[in-house]
Amino acid sequence: MLEAINLSKLYGRHEALTNLNLSVAPGEVFCLLGANGAGKTTTINLFMSFIKPDSGQIKVNNIDVSTQPGETKKYLAYIPENLSLYGNLSGLENLQFFVGLGGSKPDKPTSEQLLQSVGLQEEAIQKRVSQYSKGMRQKVGIAIAKAKKADNLLLDEPTSGLDPQASNDFAQLLQDMKQNKVAILMATHDLFRAKESGTHIGIMKEGKLIHTLNSNEITLTELEHLYLETMKTDKYVKAAH
Amino acid sequence: MLKLLIKKEFLNALRDTRLQVSGGILIVLMLTAVLVGKQGQNQLQKERAKAQSAMYDKWLNQGEKHPHSAAHYGQFAFKPKPVLSFLDVGLDNYTGISVFLEAHKQNEILFSAAQDSNGMTRFGEMTASLVLQVLLPLLIIFLTFNIFSKEREEGTLKLIHAQGLSMRKLFMGKVWGTYLMVLLIFLPVILLAYLLLDRQSSSLDSEVLLKFLTLTGSYAIYFLVFILLCVLISAFAKNSGFSLLTLMGLWIASCVILPKATTNLADKVYSTPSQFDFKNTVKSKVKNGIDGHNPSDERLASLKQEVLDEHGVKTIEELPVNWSGIAMQAGEEYTDQVYDAEFSKIEDIFNRQNRFSEWASFINPYLAIRNLSMALSGTDFQHHVAFAKAAENYRRDFVKKMNKDMEVNHKPGVAYSDYNVGEQMWASIEPFEYDLPSTSSIISNQWRSVTALAVWLIALFFSASLYAPKIPKL
Repeated sequence: MLEAINLSKLYGRHEALTNLNLSVAPGEVFCLLGANGAGKTTTINLFMSFIKPDSGQIKVNNIDVSTQPGETKKYLAYIPENLSLYGNLSGLENLQFFVGLGGSKPDKPTSEQLLQSVGLQEEAIQKRVSQYSKGMRQKVGIAIAKAKKADNLLLDEPTSGLDPQASNDFAQLLQDMKQNKVAILMATHDLFRAKESGTHIGIMKEGKLIHTLNSNEITLTELEHLYLETMKTDKYVKAAH
Repeated sequence: MLKLLIKKEFLNALRDTRLQVSGGILIVLMLTAVLVGKQGQNQLQKERAKAQSAMYDKWLNQGEKHPHSAAHYGQFAFKPKPVLSFLDVGLDNYTGISVFLEAHKQNEILFSAAQDSNGMTRFGEMTASLVLQVLLPLLIIFLTFNIFSKEREEGTLKLIHAQGLSMRKLFMGKVWGTYLMVLLIFLPVILLAYLLLDRQSSSLDSEVLLKFLTLTGSYAIYFLVFILLCVLISAFAKNSGFSLLTLMGLWIASCVILPKATTNLADKVYSTPSQFDFKNTVKSKVKNGIDGHNPSDERLASLKQEVLDEHGVKTIEELPVNWSGIAMQAGEEYTDQVYDAEFSKIEDIFNRQNRFSEWASFINPYLAIRNLSMALSGTDFQHHVAFAKAAENYRRDFVKKMNKDMEVNHKPGVAYSDYNVGEQMWASIEPFEYDLPSTSSIISNQWRSVTALAVWLIALFFSASLYAPKIPKL
């Protein structure tokens, strides 16, 4: 369960996030749409306690992130947009390292199986990550998140740079996690993926959540239209004030 | 968890080609420095031992002569090359190696290596200590300057943080991982040094081993201090470039500028008189008395009266002992007294200068290891003074023996040239031997440097524990 209550964040005088309220229940996929600088990544960074909010509250499984950031990490898995791994280590070593930091120690066969389950070729597993493409690195990131078996998943534009096949595999992974009652918050530019994978869609602009939609109640065309209109005009931002 | 972090840091560094090359070069440099240093030390030690033995043979075979002539014939004392000096030449190149010991005079210790070398000697020899104290920290900088900033710049820090790992644990993992890497580079040097010591089994007594182990431990602590400092700076640096610039500045300041500045400042605060002034003062005080109101002729007259009264006679011709022998020994002792008083003043000034540098270790850990390394290798000022004192004591003993023989056996009325002694007398003087200060005396003399290293270590661990949670993640 992920909750943001009246969440605000300032960078100097710039309001990166203003009174954000959202809630993602287990089995839900909340997709945040918006242009660059809309506040999507800031929202995720706040959930991950990479940064501190200026006001408001963030809860993960009903635990306050501000007061117990370490505790909330147990229930969170995270995949950033540009997943960086250690180039001098293999995919397998990277996976074992990051998963190991979370406290679990997957053995070699389990780790290999995990990597293969996200579509990484067997021969690539032992190769150093410096030889990986962006898509391959992203797959390792997905495997790391999957291995954590967390209740909540935060995704910051996870399909950026993935080929269509990998992107499709990723969508399948989201479906699996959704069925396993994982609460997923995903920042994305991909309207199609948001409509396909999301249960709820939020459109953000200038740090404000302008629209919150149930993805079953809107078509892709309508979503696209609403999104473009929101981006064009200031009326929603003013209204949000 | 810590094991996992250490393993990752270690593997990541070990597989870095740039570090493989720089680490490899450093290992080769250090091994070469140790081998060449040991070869040089063996050669010098052999030469000095040979010279010492040859000079003693010359003393024994000087033929028959008057004991006072023998006291002027004199002997040489050669400073032995300490077994561990191949690791750190310290002040050895600037202090002399031998001193001519004779009656009435405290000669200078002469023939320093710097006298026979060109100006390049001033830049320092390529010794293990130079590599360990100056170049290895440079490698540490290359290992650590982006240890946090790179992770922040590339985003791996976010992923690590996302796994719920505390920054404190991450910090310590990076520190110990880097430390392991540094120890891996340090280990071959220490092993080689130990093997070279071991081969020289006659010299590898427990004292040498203790000094070697203490030296190794001191370097191990120094590296840990440097790593902690570098990782701490890297953790809070805005970016890798800034971190590298800061660390390089720190390295230049601590290894190049501050040591020189400390020496210059110490020299300014506690200035030493010139050798000319020192000699003149001794000469004048011997002539006019320590207080300036007791000239040598008056002292001699007073002594003469004392001796005459003691033996109940009126003239020196009536004395049952040789007056010249007594007078010469009294002159020796008065000169010794003046010399000791003046030398202790100079020694005190040098000690104050050295203490200044030792106190400065609290702001520069490089000075702490430099002082400790020289001391444990037997090449610092304390060792030089210990040798100078041992040689001077030896001189006093043998001159005293010559004077005593003259006083007792050279009967009054017998011409100077008619009283001679020979090999039996010369052999009664044992060859010069000098024992190096013990490890405990070195450590007690260097307590400031030892404490400075300990304070640095504790303060850095404390700072790391305090500030690590505040390391920026983005």
